[in-house]
Amino acid sequence: MDYFFQNLINALQWGSFYAVISIGYSMVYGVLMLFNFAHGDIFMVGTYIGFGIATLLLALFSAIMPGWLIFIFTVVITMFLASFVGVFVEIVGYRPLRKAPRASAAITGLMIGIIFETGNLILLGAQRLSFPPLIKSISYNFKGIYFTNVKIMIVVISLLLMLLLHTFIQKTKWGMAMRAMSYDFLAVPLMGVSINVIAPLTFALGAGLASVAGILYGQAYPVLDPYMGVLLGWKAFVAAILGGRGSIMGAALAGYMLGFIEIFVAMVFPSTFRDLIAYSIILIILTFRPRGFFGMAHSTSLRL
Amino acid sequence: MKIIDTFKKIFSKIPTTGWLLGIFVAVVLEYYLGDIISYYLYLPKIPAIFGTLIMFKKPLMIPSVIAYDFIIYILPIFIVGKFFAPLTNNLALMFEKMPLWISTILHLCLLYGAMHIWAEISDYRVLILKLTMISIILTISINIINGYQGEFSCSHPGFMALGAYSSSTLTLLLFTNDKLFGTALLPSFLGPWLFPVTLIFGGIVAAIGSLIVAIPSFRTRGDYLAIISLAFMFIVKSAIENLEILGGPRGMSSQPDYASLPVVFCWMVMAIWIIHNFVTSIMGKALNAVRDNEPAADSMTVNTRKTKMTAFMFGAFWAGIAGGLFAHVLRYINPGTFGIQKLAEILAMVYFGGLNSIYGSIVGAVSISLLGEALRPFELFKWIVIPLILIIIMIVRPYGLISFKELNIKKLLGSRDKPKNQGVK
Amino acid sequence: MSTLLSVENMTHFFGGLRAVHNYNLKIKSGQIIGLIGPNGAGKTTIFNLITGVHTPTKGNITLKNTNIKGMKTHEIASLGLGRTFQNLLLWRHMNVLDHIKMAHFSQLKYTLFDAFLGTPKCRKQENEIKEKSHELLKLFEINQFADQIVGSLPYGAQRRVEMARAMATNPKILFLDEPTAGMTPDELVRMIEIIRKIHNDFKIAIFLIEHRMKFVMDLCEYIQTLVFGEIIAQGTPDEIQNNPKVIEAYLGKEDLT
Repeated sequence: MDYFFQNLINALQWGSFYAVISIGYSMVYGVLMLFNFAHGDIFMVGTYIGFGIATLLLALFSAIMPGWLIFIFTVVITMFLASFVGVFVEIVGYRPLRKAPRASAAITGLMIGIIFETGNLILLGAQRLSFPPLIKSISYNFKGIYFTNVKIMIVVISLLLMLLLHTFIQKTKWGMAMRAMSYDFLAVPLMGVSINVIAPLTFALGAGLASVAGILYGQAYPVLDPYMGVLLGWKAFVAAILGGRGSIMGAALAGYMLGFIEIFVAMVFPSTFRDLIAYSIILIILTFRPRGFFGMAHSTSLRL
Repeated sequence: MKIIDTFKKIFSKIPTTGWLLGIFVAVVLEYYLGDIISYYLYLPKIPAIFGTLIMFKKPLMIPSVIAYDFIIYILPIFIVGKFFAPLTNNLALMFEKMPLWISTILHLCLLYGAMHIWAEISDYRVLILKLTMISIILTISINIINGYQGEFSCSHPGFMALGAYSSSTLTLLLFTNDKLFGTALLPSFLGPWLFPVTLIFGGIVAAIGSLIVAIPSFRTRGDYLAIISLAFMFIVKSAIENLEILGGPRGMSSQPDYASLPVVFCWMVMAIWIIHNFVTSIMGKALNAVRDNEPAADSMTVNTRKTKMTAFMFGAFWAGIAGGLFAHVLRYINPGTFGIQKLAEILAMVYFGGLNSIYGSIVGAVSISLLGEALRPFELFKWIVIPLILIIIMIVRPYGLISFKELNIKKLLGSRDKPKNQGVK
Repeated sequence: MSTLLSVENMTHFFGGLRAVHNYNLKIKSGQIIGLIGPNGAGKTTIFNLITGVHTPTKGNITLKNTNIKGMKTHEIASLGLGRTFQNLLLWRHMNVLDHIKMAHFSQLKYTLFDAFLGTPKCRKQENEIKEKSHELLKLFEINQFADQIVGSLPYGAQRRVEMARAMATNPKILFLDEPTAGMTPDELVRMIEIIRKIHNDFKIAIFLIEHRMKFVMDLCEYIQTLVFGEIIAQGTPDEIQNNPKVIEAYLGKEDLT
């Protein structure tokens, strides 16, 4: 039983990463009806930006500032910078292709992702960088279940972010415009809301969220890798589908579910089976619920 | 602009026969004189693929490489093309009078001959040619699904893996003494003769595997295919990694060397021919109808579901064949080969070349493969340059470079001289 | 004259909404029947129900003594029920000739492997279909567009392509969904001629939805009026023209005081 709860905490932690990243996919789909295939790599770039900022801040202010303050500054500055990466992807890869077939936009997204990965390898080389710990890890033991404050922090911050995003989308003018866009993608521009404002905003929000996920990931698993975006990104993408395209809530829930599936599969089977079983479950779910959990009945497709 | 026009004017008169003859002469020239010419140009040896590798490694060699390329390739092709144009046009006219298949075969023989002599220079060239031809099969086969059928399938590396592993298993099991499967079951001299059977077996396995994707995703409309096929690709890769009998993550090696240059060439020609036949027949054009408007296709008596399934399986079949050839060319495969990287490469080829077009696929496969080889010393920059080119292509021509163009063999092989001149000569 | 198509007591619900109620229809060979009614009356729904796009909740549909209720659209189409669409559903990357060739799909006799290998059997049949298609194009006066992509054609020509395509399925009955929608008066006159011509040349029955009264009254020998999914009146053009219910549905209730 202890073992179970131990894994439950791990699953919540993994799920948080997936959930926060997959929200980015879902938001873009809601607004543009397109998948942002570069999102996994935006997450990777965000993590590296976070790494840079954290190292810089630590070098400059570690004497006068406590770790948590540096952490907060890192998060804020990284979110700000990473959102520009999102806007960049939108302007370069998606805006010129508004009228093009959807598959072409998918290809540009994919290619921008590859450029990010390779560019990273060229700039930083193949050495593995290690994310500096900003929060001192403290282990707790609660009735035989071990957990650290970092794990709790990851889950809490992720939930907080999602709550913030939810408020933003429900309460603000821009959030309303985004929601409207996901209902009717053609009529909203006629109402005076330019898609050229909403789309970059959505990309920026998604990128900001992904970069925070990256910092949190760096706190839990410090080793950075240019291909980390591929590893987590595609799974988060699948979670976004599973949740139902364009549904932010669904994406978050499916992200957590995927985390649970993966951790508990690894509990029962050898860990090499993780991908196999996770993707097979996804295939089965999509076979019986093609729209995902909260998906709307979109009849669009990646057609010519 | 004027220069381009004059060039166009000169070259538009040269028939395909002329080009092929020119290439043939150039290649023969290189075979006999390449060593001497490269010696006098201070090149260490005959440049492997037009000297791009040397150019990047030793920039000082650039003038000699250009001179070499000019003397060996450009000059002879141009001279033969230009000055023998009347002759080659007459030849082309002669071919036009023959049945189409005879002239096609003659041209293919000429093409193969040129390729064979070119490849005689080094084993590296043989490998590049084989891999490029396999890429052509792959690209055309994914064009059936992503172009003609207009879906977005990501599972081609998976189909390739299925084909590669099943045909390798068969050849290793039947014809070789191998550490995975023990002694050969059949005498090894049968191997090359039964190799096509093992390839077709691989193709069929891939086609059956494709049903896992096709059945759920063609029931409803939408981007399901993109996601389900992606999941399928990961499932195949991860399943093979966990199958110790197939070598697990270490992969399979020492496949018998059956995929020689002529074998791969024949398979490529066959793939192009069969796929061309299919997509130009009414049965194959039904794919376009389904893509452009499914309800209309349905009302015009097209069995849309069957059409989609058949085409998807057909595409997967050829991906399986390509996978089998790939395994026997490299003689080593591991599950890591058939991942996202491969997918990006295949998608780059088909979207660069152009959707709904066999010409486009050939152009895409050849140019991306050659570009990849040319940039080999800069493995990393390859994956900056190719994506950049692709982004630009997508922005300028969203359907790819040469899209919606049918292969017209008769026109391709025909004479380029105006019919008026026929009477005079 | 035998009955080609008969629809008995067809009722259909979309969720809880009753779209069509107790609809009956009998079409004999060679008849031209019109279906009129205000917007949203369910005319296109009736087309979709008969052609198998939706399966009706209740009722029977028989085409040439075959029960076609629940059959797939392409099966019904190949039994001899051709149709056109209200909002032109053409294949935008295909040329005109290919459109007509494509509609011969169910008449193909070669197998998939013939198509792969380009066997003489396949080529012979493809050539026959090509010839037939060219004839149809000539009949509809669009043979000069044969090699063009449909999108580049004038609107009236696109309508004719759609009709030629429907005729290529070799139908016994042709369903026309607002064949004159968006046409200029000139094009309208030509359309009437064309419909008369195919009716005479091919001896087929035609069932059409139309808004323009003059067009319907000119062409049809029998007219049904549909309001809110129910037939309120049917009969010859004269009867319909003078039917108070129809006038009411179209012009509103007359104040009789």
